[in-house]
Amino acid sequence: MSDHSGVGIKVLGVNHRTAPLDVRERFAHGAHEVPGALARVMAAGAQGGVLLSTCNRTEFYLVGEEEPAFETVWSLLGERLPAAPAGGVREYGYVVRDREAVRHLYRVSSGLDSMILGESQIQGQVREAWEISRAQAGPVLHRLFQTALHVGSRVRTETGLGMGTASAASAGVAVAGKIFGDLAGRSALILGAGDMAELAATCLSDEGVQVTLVANRTQERARAIAERLGGRAVSLEEAWAHFATTDIALCSTAAPHAVVTWERVGHIIARRGGRPLCILDLAVPRDVDPAVAQLENVFLYDVDDLQTVAAQATARRRDEVPAAERIVEEETDLFWAWYGGLGVVPAIKELRSRMEALRAAELERALRQLGTLSPEDRTHVEQFSQALMNKFLHQPTVALKAAAEEGRGYGLLEALRRLFGMESPPPS
Amino acid sequence: MIVTLHLIVLALYGLGTALALAPFLRLPPSPRALNIALPCAGAAVHVVAISQLTPVGLGPALSILALCLVLLQLASERLLRGSAVALFTGPLATALVGLALLSGLTPGGGAEVAGSRNAWFILHVALSVSGVALMALAFIAAALYLLQFRELKARRFGQVFQLFPPLERLDQLNRFALIVGFPTLTLGVLLALGYGARFSGGLHVAKAQIVWGMFTWVVLGWAVWVRVVRHWAGRRAAFASIAGFSAVLLVYVALKLAQPGVERFL
Repeated sequence: MSDHSGVGIKVLGVNHRTAPLDVRERFAHGAHEVPGALARVMAAGAQGGVLLSTCNRTEFYLVGEEEPAFETVWSLLGERLPAAPAGGVREYGYVVRDREAVRHLYRVSSGLDSMILGESQIQGQVREAWEISRAQAGPVLHRLFQTALHVGSRVRTETGLGMGTASAASAGVAVAGKIFGDLAGRSALILGAGDMAELAATCLSDEGVQVTLVANRTQERARAIAERLGGRAVSLEEAWAHFATTDIALCSTAAPHAVVTWERVGHIIARRGGRPLCILDLAVPRDVDPAVAQLENVFLYDVDDLQTVAAQATARRRDEVPAAERIVEEETDLFWAWYGGLGVVPAIKELRSRMEALRAAELERALRQLGTLSPEDRTHVEQFSQALMNKFLHQPTVALKAAAEEGRGYGLLEALRRLFGMESPPPS
Repeated sequence: MIVTLHLIVLALYGLGTALALAPFLRLPPSPRALNIALPCAGAAVHVVAISQLTPVGLGPALSILALCLVLLQLASERLLRGSAVALFTGPLATALVGLALLSGLTPGGGAEVAGSRNAWFILHVALSVSGVALMALAFIAAALYLLQFRELKARRFGQVFQLFPPLERLDQLNRFALIVGFPTLTLGVLLALGYGARFSGGLHVAKAQIVWGMFTWVVLGWAVWVRVVRHWAGRRAAFASIAGFSAVLLVYVALKLAQPGVERFL
C-alpha cells in the first residue's frame, strides 16, 4: 500500500519516548531557527516541510523524495548533539511514512501522543509550527496541518480526552501542594510571560496564590497577565531578590540557557532560614541549573518530573482513548482519500487530451497516406482510432480512480507522469 | 474479661493496621470510613477494657499508651485529612497491646495498687502516658516528614508522595504534639509529686522511674525549646524530635533491662 519509495508524506523526529530531556532540549528549535532549518531540507530536495518543535518533540514533516532530505535532517540534528551515541542521532529518532504519518500528526494534535495524555497545549504548538513554516509547507502539508487542527478540536469537543487537569502546570500546583499543603496565601514568582507562564500563573492564582510575574522581554505582556490575575509585574533584575521570600518560583522563559543559577540565587536562598522553596522549571531548555536543587530546602522539578506527576492524573482520560482514536482513523481516511485523489482527475484529463492529440495527428497522417476514401470509410477509420484509444485508456483510468479512492493515487500518478512523459507537477 | 477485651482490641487494631498498609503493598485501598471505623471500634472496646484495669504495672501502662496513640491517630487524621499516621501508630499500638497481654494485665500487690483508684493517681498516669504518647506522635510526624522530604527532594512520585500528607502539615503536627505534650507531661509529673505528698506521706517510686521521668521531661522540654524559642522547623526540627524520642526509648530499655519485672512499668 505504501508508496514511500517515491514522493510522499514523511515524519522524521525525536520525542519524549525516544529521547531523554537533555537530548530533546538540544534538538529544540526556536521560532527564529525554523525557516533556516527548513530551507536546508528544502535545498536537499524536499518539496514541502513543517518543523514542529516543542519541549516533548522535534519533528520534521516533509513531502518529497526521501534522499537526500533525510540525510540533511539527521545531520541538522546531529550538529546539535556533537556527543551523539555510536549510532548517531538516528538512535533517538524515528521515521513515519505516508498514511501513518498523517495518522501520527492527527494523534499529536489530539494529545493522544503527548506525554500528558489529552493535554491541550499541543494544539497551539501545532498551529504555531504550521504558521511559522507556512511559506515552506507546500499544498499537501498545508492541508495536513489545517486538518490536524480540526481533528484536535473534534477530539476535544466530542470526547472526554481533555477532561481534568493533567497539564504540567497543574502538576506543578499538585507538587507545590505536597510541600505547602494549602496554597492559599502563598506567594509565587513567575519567570517568563509566555503561554505556559500564563497558564501556570492562572493555575496558581486559582489556588489563592499571590502571583508576581517577571518578563525578560515583553514587560507589557507580563503587566497585562499580572493585572488580570491581580498580581504584579517586575523586571528580571528585580526578580532575584524575591528568591529570599517567595514560596514558589515557576520558570518558563525562552532563554537558551539556564538563567537561575547557583551563583545568582544561592546566597539569596540561604537567607530563607530553612523555609522550603518549590521551583518549577517548565522551560525547555531548562531555566534552572540542576545544581540549585542541592540547596537545603529547595525542591526543584523540571518538565519531565511534572509530566510524570501529571501522567498519574491521566488514568481517567485513558477511557476516552478508543473514541479519540476512532475520530483520528476517520479523519485519516478522509485525508488519505483526498491525498490519493490529489491530481487524479486533472491527470486523467491531461492524459486523454495528450492521447487525443496523438490520435488526431496519426489519423490525419493515415488518411493522407490512404488517399481518396469514401466518407463512410473515413468515418469507419476515425471510429476505429477512437475506439482503440478508448480501449487503451480504459484500464489505466479505472485503475487510477480506484487507487485514488483507496488513497494510493499519488504513487500511480507519479508512475503515469514518468511513463507518459507528463512532466508538469500535480495541481494543488 | 480484661484479657478477652484486649484480644478483641488486638484484632481490631491489627485489622486497621492491615488496611492502612494495604495501599503500600500495592493492594486496592479500602474505604476511608472503614479505615476510621476499625480503630474507632478498637478504641471504644479499649476504653471499656482499661476502665476495668488497675493502672499499675508494665502491662496496663503499655495498654494505656496504646489507647492514647490510637486516640491521637484519630485526632491527627482529622487534622491531616489522611491516614499516614496510622502507618506508624497502627503497628505500634497493636504491638503494645500484644506486649501488654504477654506482660499480664492483672497487677500484684503494693502501695500503688492500694491507691490506684485515687483520682490524683489515675490523672497522673493518664497525663504522663498522654505526654509520652504525644512525644511519640511528634516522632511519627517527624519520621513521616523526613520520608516525604526525601521523596520530594529525590523527585520520586510513588506511594509515599501520593499517600503521605504535605510537609508543612507534618511539621505543624510535630510542633503541635510537642507543644501540647510538654505541659501534659509536666502536669503528670506534678500530679505524681502532689499525690506522693498528700496520700502516701512521700514518694514511693523506684529511682529508675524518677530518672526516666525527669529525663523524658527534660528531653521534651528541650524539643519544645528548640521549636518555640530557637524557631527550629522542618528537617532540623524533625531530626531533633527523632533524636529526643529515641534517647527516651533507649534510656527506658536500658533501665528496664537493669531492673526486669512486670509489676512496675519501670
